[in-house]
Amino acid sequence: MAGLTRRAGQALLGLAVVLVLWQLGPRLLGVPAYILPGPGAVAVRLWQTLGVQLQHLGHTAATTVIGLALALVVGVLLALLVVYVRPVKAVLMPALAAFNSIPKIAIAPLFVIWFGLGAEPKVLLAFLLGLFPIFVNSMTGLGEIEPDLLDLARLAGGTEWRIFGKVRLMNALPYLADAVKVAFPLALVGSVVGEFIGGNSGVGYLILSAQFNMDTPLVFASLVSITMLTTLGIGLVSLLEHVLLRWRPSRRTR
Amino acid sequence: MGSSRADAGAPAIALAGVDKAFGAGAAAVAGLTLDVHANQFVTLVGPSGCGKSTTLRMVAGLVAPTAGRVAVRGRPVTGPLRDVGMVFQSPVLLPWRTALANVLFTAEMSGAGAAGYRSKARELLRLAGLAGFEHRYPHELSGGMQQRVAICRALLLDPSLLLMDEPFGALDVMTREKLAFELQRMWAATRTTVLFVTHSITEAVLLSDVIVVMTARPGTVRAVIAVDLPRPRDAKTLSDPRFVELAAAVRDNIESQWLD
Repeated sequence: MAGLTRRAGQALLGLAVVLVLWQLGPRLLGVPAYILPGPGAVAVRLWQTLGVQLQHLGHTAATTVIGLALALVVGVLLALLVVYVRPVKAVLMPALAAFNSIPKIAIAPLFVIWFGLGAEPKVLLAFLLGLFPIFVNSMTGLGEIEPDLLDLARLAGGTEWRIFGKVRLMNALPYLADAVKVAFPLALVGSVVGEFIGGNSGVGYLILSAQFNMDTPLVFASLVSITMLTTLGIGLVSLLEHVLLRWRPSRRTR
Repeated sequence: MGSSRADAGAPAIALAGVDKAFGAGAAAVAGLTLDVHANQFVTLVGPSGCGKSTTLRMVAGLVAPTAGRVAVRGRPVTGPLRDVGMVFQSPVLLPWRTALANVLFTAEMSGAGAAGYRSKARELLRLAGLAGFEHRYPHELSGGMQQRVAICRALLLDPSLLLMDEPFGALDVMTREKLAFELQRMWAATRTTVLFVTHSITEAVLLSDVIVVMTARPGTVRAVIAVDLPRPRDAKTLSDPRFVELAAAVRDNIESQWLD
């Protein structure tokens, strides 16, 4: 507990140093406030626009979480297909690798043509960006089981179904937790880019309209609120991990 | 145990003219013929790569022989057997399960469910000297303790055959000796048929009723040595003249191959 307090103190100290430098640095160097507003001005603008921020943040969070949930379902299903139907791997892997090398952001305008300016293209982008890390990690977690353990389970009479539920799935959980921590910020990128290119809602839209108005403090305030969302999301996953995956060797007290 | 299921007179394990080759490579096992009688502790020793582990896997039905016949209790082995306990060199415990839940794993896999085996599992852990460690996770246990959990897991369903593939191979010498004595004690309580693989001559003589010395690759039987030392065997047995004599006989059979 004392260690936790000390670490929290160190983190706060680090943050304070950054804020002081940010407040004083640009003034001393003569950078105008419309280029780089100080943290005070950003905080004021955040407070003034709190209602709007929350409303747009809600939109972004919704498309991100829906996209992520879809990526989780499809990623795990694809991984199951690869693990259980061997020949599929040879067909699917090159196709997915090729697909993954397309910069998804570059096909965003296509989604606007296909799906319009509503939530669909944002969800689709969040889904596509989150899919690959979830698929790859699920494949590892579900597939890479020690052969001796599988032999042991079969000799005890284990059916494929029991082995799936009690071995593969449990083995995959920490991989999935790590995958979600990586995929969440990626899905958020998908949503925000979707909001940049069309529509009138979400933090991406808010940032873009602040840019049109040269309202730099609002751009920064939006960045702060979206950072809070990411931190909250990853924090939630970490918390869940801490409660459900107590056995994880990485959680070991060193 | 298991006697009601056995065909009268059939050996617990019968290997007849068994060959095993992997792919187009050289044979791992060739012309292996061996009978293991019920309730005996039989050990396979021999040079590395002589097919000891392969033999164990063929008996379990995890690997099919290229030629020859493998039968357990008079029935030909055609696929993975039930009613077999297996212990490997590495404990392969599930890291997300406590010691107790790891022992119960075989009960859950068998479809019988963990509930009916809980007290049996606790009893086995106690016999293995792990009382008080039931709720520890594998990473909180030493290597020797993990291997004891693996042995308890293999014994939980009272298998009529226990296959052990160098179970103490990854442990330090001191732990190894201690565990060998503990295994003997646990085995004395059940007298399950055991087929054991080891590189340690001391371990083989200490634990076995019969030692089968195998030749270098392709593996086949070179000598069968009956160990007539009285049980229980303890630390004093190690200096018994008969023990020394038997160990020398096993060693001679292994080392004479170096000259062949």
